[in-house]
Amino acid sequence: MIEELKALLGPEKVKADSVSLEAYSTDATPEFQGMPDAVVFAESTEDVVKIINFANEKNVPLIARGAGSNLCAATVPISGGIVLALSKMNKIIEISKSEMLAVVQPAVNTLELDNEVAKLSLMYPPDPGSRNVSTIGGNISTCAGGLRGLKYGVTRNYVLGLEIVLGTGEVIRTGGRLVKDVAGYDLTRLFVGSEGTLGVITEAIVALRPRPLFSRYGVAYFDSLENSALAVEQIVASGILPATLEFLDNVCINSVEDYANLGLNREAGALLLFGDDGDEHTAESNTSQMAKICEVTKGNLSVVRAKDVVEADALLEARRCSLPSLARLKSLSILEDISVSRPMLPTAVRRIDEIAKKYNLVIGTFGHAGDGNLHPTIVVDKNEPKEVEAAHLALGEIFNLAIELGGTITGEHGVGAAKLPYLEARLGKTQMEVLRRVKKTFDPNGILNPGKLGS
Amino acid sequence: MSEEKNIFTQELLDRCISCGYCLPACPTYEITKDEASSPRGRINIMRAVQKNELTLFESLEQSSYCLGCRACEVVCPAGVEYGLMLEEWRDAAWQGKNRPLIVKLLLFAANRRVFVRLMGLFNLRNYKKSKQQSVSLMLGCFERGLFPGVSKSSLKVFDQVSSNPAQGCCGALHAHNGELERGQELARELGDQLPGTILTTSGGCAAHLSSVLGKDRVKEVSQYFFENEMLDSLNEITKNGKKIKIGLQDSCHLRNGLGIFKEPREILKRIGEYQEVPGAAECCGAAGSYALVRPKDSKEIVSKKISEISKLELDYLVTVNPGCQRQMQTSIKKGPKVIHIVELIEMSLQSKGSK
Repeated sequence: MIEELKALLGPEKVKADSVSLEAYSTDATPEFQGMPDAVVFAESTEDVVKIINFANEKNVPLIARGAGSNLCAATVPISGGIVLALSKMNKIIEISKSEMLAVVQPAVNTLELDNEVAKLSLMYPPDPGSRNVSTIGGNISTCAGGLRGLKYGVTRNYVLGLEIVLGTGEVIRTGGRLVKDVAGYDLTRLFVGSEGTLGVITEAIVALRPRPLFSRYGVAYFDSLENSALAVEQIVASGILPATLEFLDNVCINSVEDYANLGLNREAGALLLFGDDGDEHTAESNTSQMAKICEVTKGNLSVVRAKDVVEADALLEARRCSLPSLARLKSLSILEDISVSRPMLPTAVRRIDEIAKKYNLVIGTFGHAGDGNLHPTIVVDKNEPKEVEAAHLALGEIFNLAIELGGTITGEHGVGAAKLPYLEARLGKTQMEVLRRVKKTFDPNGILNPGKLGS
Repeated sequence: MSEEKNIFTQELLDRCISCGYCLPACPTYEITKDEASSPRGRINIMRAVQKNELTLFESLEQSSYCLGCRACEVVCPAGVEYGLMLEEWRDAAWQGKNRPLIVKLLLFAANRRVFVRLMGLFNLRNYKKSKQQSVSLMLGCFERGLFPGVSKSSLKVFDQVSSNPAQGCCGALHAHNGELERGQELARELGDQLPGTILTTSGGCAAHLSSVLGKDRVKEVSQYFFENEMLDSLNEITKNGKKIKIGLQDSCHLRNGLGIFKEPREILKRIGEYQEVPGAAECCGAAGSYALVRPKDSKEIVSKKISEISKLELDYLVTVNPGCQRQMQTSIKKGPKVIHIVELIEMSLQSKGSK
């Protein structure tokens, strides 16, 4: 098979040595590994077509991969096959200021795109925590969220059109440069979050927004995460839709502080990072309004406004580093991604706390409080089988809790191989069957990323 | 189940959570876009070696393709000590016939004090004894032969500093090339030979010596100049009536290992018109012995930098490490003069320009 692939694509685009296979056997998800049979580097849509046709002919799994920074084992080749590395398709093809859009290849880095459009006073709003490494193709395939979800939405709100090579090897272009377009089913949306199970994205047209000129931030400390969630509810109820509402519990505060030394209050039960952007007046008045609401919320300990941009950036960066900071505590950290409606937040965080106590586990919870998306992270010693087992039991309870509260098992990380076993609990039998039918339409031979969505 | 090996300190391997934040910082990933040539990929390779799923021999190419610049450490939110793991890796993998010949020769020379001394023979006037023994200048093994002017300038700039020509190599070369224990031993020996604070003109040596002798005993020259509040003694240097234009190439280990990058910049701002070279913090491809072991890869790394530098119209490109100095001197065909920071400091002290 390797020789045939080399003949098909050129020898420099195919790797099958033991070291390469090892490197592509994992992504950012702990506890998942699968050895591929080959790794191929596509440089064009034509390459992708050839590879998909080849995989169909040989009936081998094909796993598309951007930066491999996803947290649901979406790019782990759990049943072997060919890893399709798109990392070399990383060009920004066009930025149109007048149309406020960008045309990009799939492996364009998320932060790099935002930095490039910033030169034209534009913004690419989705900002997942991993944006310094993640790719636009990967973001689209997992419908990545981020820290600005409440005000700006998530990746799906910014995808205008796609070029996709389907599981059949056919190439289609969905959507386009248009703001309005209802000709046909909304296949663009279908591919957002499809995790490489229906087709491979080879080009994307994404929407941009004017870059806000000003931003203001502040930090409020509370005695508990539950009370900080109350403040969040009050803030949104007051009519403000802020750019940033992020919270960290005590475990996270301490691990972030160990890492970043920002002078955070280590005694506090919760930290709420709030802020808004826009014109100077709006950013300022919304942020001081939020500060006032925090001050009068039950359990508030203190409220501090960020002095300047540098201080605000440090806070945001610290929040982005919650997970890796937590990971310093013990050798294995399992990160979850449940989402509940905002009014359910206080209950959700209290119940997660109870689950931690029940299983005697360290669970650090941080999350996008504004949009109800929580990242409870269980840190355990991977050499203690009992602790690991307890962690998995606790995970199951957290998923059940989310569903019980009318929420979901994953807000922005995706299903992948990691959450597929829990998906039916969220979607029900009928919908699972519909998913399989959809997959069959686009990928009749089931070669694309098997064992994930639609399987 | 295969039996686990004891090549790597397991806690070091466990630190990495595979988030991938290191990928954009890695010069070899930037070129190849191949996970196997990224820090995360290499750590996964190390893990597989530790678990006996890959052999050391299979891992050899990646252990050697890595520059060892440690840019990944700075961006790692989980605090992975990649440099230490790389040393352990090469210590195990680069034995016997798996060690590049050029590395064998370098280590052979640097292992023996008599050779190291020979390299400095032509410049005996460099050495002086000071009454005070509190600060000793480390002469550097290869720097002595390649850039004798650097030590000479150091002794002029810091008149309290003494130097002992009988000193050996600091062992950085060994530690980075598969002789970890010998590298540490040489550092300790050098610590015995040079009493008090050790002043070094090499960022790479500073990082290695600090890791063995402690940060308090070792000072890199720009750091020492800065910490001793000598900035005010500097004069501007002018050329045709205009301030000279200066750029800097960081030393990876000085910046990524010791966190020193502001100090040289503050110095240069006092001497002339400082311009930040785009990508100054990124490895120049010298990477210790890398430029000799893998000349083709080294050239590929430096080529982007050269085109950036040529756009700036600098008078001087300053380095803080002899390896970088050699790399930039041999790579820049037309453009700024490449000079060590201490040489420029000496020029500035002698200059009659305004303060």
